[in-house]
Amino acid sequence: MGIVIAVISGKGGVGKTTAVANLGLGVAMNGKRCAVVDFDIGQRNLDMILGLENRVVYDIVQVMDGEASLKQALIKSKVNDNLRFLAASQSKDKRVLNSKKVKKLVKELKDNFDYVILDSPAGIESGFEHTIEFADAAIIVVNPEVSSIRDADRAIGILDSKSQKVKDGGEVAKYLIINRIVPDMVQSGEMLKSDDILDILNIKLVGKVPEDNGVIDASNQGKPVILDKRSVAGQAYKRISARLCGKKIDMKDVEVSDSSIFKKLVGIFR
Amino acid sequence: MQSKQYSIKVYECTIDDEERFISFFNKNYTLFKDHLIVINGYLSQNIKNYLNSKSLIFLNNIKLPKGRSRKALEEEFSVQKREHDIDKIIAQTELEKLSNRLQNNLSVIDQIVRSGRVIEIYGDLLLLNRVNSGATVYSSGNLIITELVEGSIRCDGNFMIIMASSKANVIFNGVEINSKFLEDRLNRVEIKGGEIVINPVFKKETSWVS
Repeated sequence: MGIVIAVISGKGGVGKTTAVANLGLGVAMNGKRCAVVDFDIGQRNLDMILGLENRVVYDIVQVMDGEASLKQALIKSKVNDNLRFLAASQSKDKRVLNSKKVKKLVKELKDNFDYVILDSPAGIESGFEHTIEFADAAIIVVNPEVSSIRDADRAIGILDSKSQKVKDGGEVAKYLIINRIVPDMVQSGEMLKSDDILDILNIKLVGKVPEDNGVIDASNQGKPVILDKRSVAGQAYKRISARLCGKKIDMKDVEVSDSSIFKKLVGIFR
Repeated sequence: MQSKQYSIKVYECTIDDEERFISFFNKNYTLFKDHLIVINGYLSQNIKNYLNSKSLIFLNNIKLPKGRSRKALEEEFSVQKREHDIDKIIAQTELEKLSNRLQNNLSVIDQIVRSGRVIEIYGDLLLLNRVNSGATVYSSGNLIITELVEGSIRCDGNFMIIMASSKANVIFNGVEINSKFLEDRLNRVEIKGGEIVINPVFKKETSWVS
């Protein structure tokens, strides 16, 4: 019996899909059987970021409608045997989802994998609600800027009222990833500090990911950035994946960039 | 409380001659047997024994309230009632003032009020957590929020105690309050003499050891 993690953000473009791809691969690299599922019906992206777009035969809607079995539709990752991917439908839209179908699919995935990571669509509409409905935990991805924080706050509010676990009297575990931190801007006070974000959202931090130009190239190439040993974002995702697998890894203060230390040193010798 | 009101008849007398009194009573016993006997002046043991033997109820040296005419009674009663009504009105307004200032239907909420949530409370509200940007809190009574407010607040009570960031939108009794005045500290906002007064709750004054 695995754990179902919904990756949500509220606002679009903060790096949900990138996070799902990297965390899925990271968890698989830790030796866990992991399935990543694209719930963004009608706007699938995860297949490209994982570099599996040419392998998609059946999609999530066909599995839910019984046109294909889950086994047929799951695509094996090129880089790690533990990782499987279930694509969203590109031709249908999110209206095809309903609670009963989603529940059945999530349960089947849960029975077959250690980790099931669901990539939520942006926004807070029905597609989002179906993603969180049967999740055991949620990872909230934010950027250090006010609009992203407010949308995430709204998404958490909905998560706390609409998920099945909450309706049954439980609580959905919520973890925060602060994505695209620019250390220099945080240092100069132009960017929100992590502590302020945590104050506002009041959930546990699972990791901070610094801004990294390599992410875009990695997405375009279909090779998640976690595979790049020199990438700061990739290392951050590696640490987060290990934390998700229960390893104790200290928080690295990504806000203190190496460059700023270097600048300070230069300042001393000048 | 259960109460009854009734009139009794009283036979009042002073005893000069005990024998005469006894013979008079013997003769008129049926007339006086339901009366309360009040004897003024000295009451001898002899008479006491006699009255006891007749099982009459008696009192010695007592001043009983005398009945007055109905008109006088009614007048007094109406005066009394008026005074009582005035007292009642005073007590009520005092109570209202007090309850308006303190609590009427106090609700306590200890949840983070996240963006998009709307809380409407008819009565007083004590909120022990943050109000995030995009959330709305309305209270018809007094409002106390112990953590930072970044959302919008409407309060129609007599006072509110809040700390708001510059992003917050605070309306107190229909008047928008510039959140500049509410930043960085807990404030007490209240109506005093028709004006809105804002004071810090804790004055941050350091008293140094001299």
